[in-house]
Amino acid sequence: MKTACAIACLIAAPLVAQDFSANSEARSWNLYAEVPARFEATVVDPLCLLTGDCPDNCGDGKRQLALVRSADDAMILPLKNSQPAFSGAANELQPFCGELVEVDGLMIEDPDLNATNIYLVQKIRKSGDADWIKANRWTKDWAAAHPEAKGKGPWFRRDPRVKAEIAREGHLGLGLETDEAFIKEWFE
Amino acid sequence: MRSLPLMAIAALLAFSPTAQAAEEGKRITVKGEAIDTWCYFSGVMGGPDAVVGSAHHTCALWCSAGGIPVGLLAEDGQVYMVLKIENDDQSNGGDTQMSIASHVITADGMHYQRDGINYIVVSEVVADDDIQVLNHEDYGPVPSMAIREPKK
Repeated sequence: MKTACAIACLIAAPLVAQDFSANSEARSWNLYAEVPARFEATVVDPLCLLTGDCPDNCGDGKRQLALVRSADDAMILPLKNSQPAFSGAANELQPFCGELVEVDGLMIEDPDLNATNIYLVQKIRKSGDADWIKANRWTKDWAAAHPEAKGKGPWFRRDPRVKAEIAREGHLGLGLETDEAFIKEWFE
Repeated sequence: MRSLPLMAIAALLAFSPTAQAAEEGKRITVKGEAIDTWCYFSGVMGGPDAVVGSAHHTCALWCSAGGIPVGLLAEDGQVYMVLKIENDDQSNGGDTQMSIASHVITADGMHYQRDGINYIVVSEVVADDDIQVLNHEDYGPVPSMAIREPKK
């Protein structure tokens, strides 16, 4: 009987919601559905995991990366790094491809939008390391990749691809004529 | 029942959620808008109706260029995280994903689901209907700083 109970517990364990907020030092972003979450996980290439298409080094920065949490084997998808700058999380995770890490940040759990297991990573460290690394390297990576766009103002005002697209289709994406008319009316 | 045979235990564990491999992919055709998933799921810039379409187009460009995952928001409200489009696996800020920001596309591909998240590997963009949600008159630019007031 004890064996049967132990098996039942093993099977049921991942289905029980766990609290990963203990010891989290994540800063609130005052988001409706945010939940602080600190956990250990392995950095993985989700395209590799799901399809078997597995280039070296998780795709060398080209791909989105995910976190497979040690406690329950759940694959968490980080959408955002810690910078308030329209920047994702893949660059922050890339140096840890395949490694066991600890992360701290905010989980977004919103059943109304079917949002679950998505994450904003604020800091990361290799499992066992004492020092945390802030998840804020994205803008430095962007600056290094775009020396020609050096200047004042945030990266997204200077990004060559964004500027070219807006120059072509406007801010609304509906063409320059529509854009011009809307801007004139909006700011009147 | 004093003990279970080892084979029975192994069989039970094999069908437990932890032991199962990722779900098998399933071929689907899905029509939806290519959205910026962070703004949509987090609500950081308002409700879901405000962070799609023409109102949010500039922000969708910023977020796509910034490496925030692009998702396909289907007509039934499901979001499919786009991991690859045809031969381009650059889901971290790639040109192909950026080129469809805010567009409604019809995609044929393989659907995978893991831990409550839908993923799609697009084998073919069957149709690209450009931007279909015209909500800039309702919401203005979202966020408002997406369009700067012209200097007078």
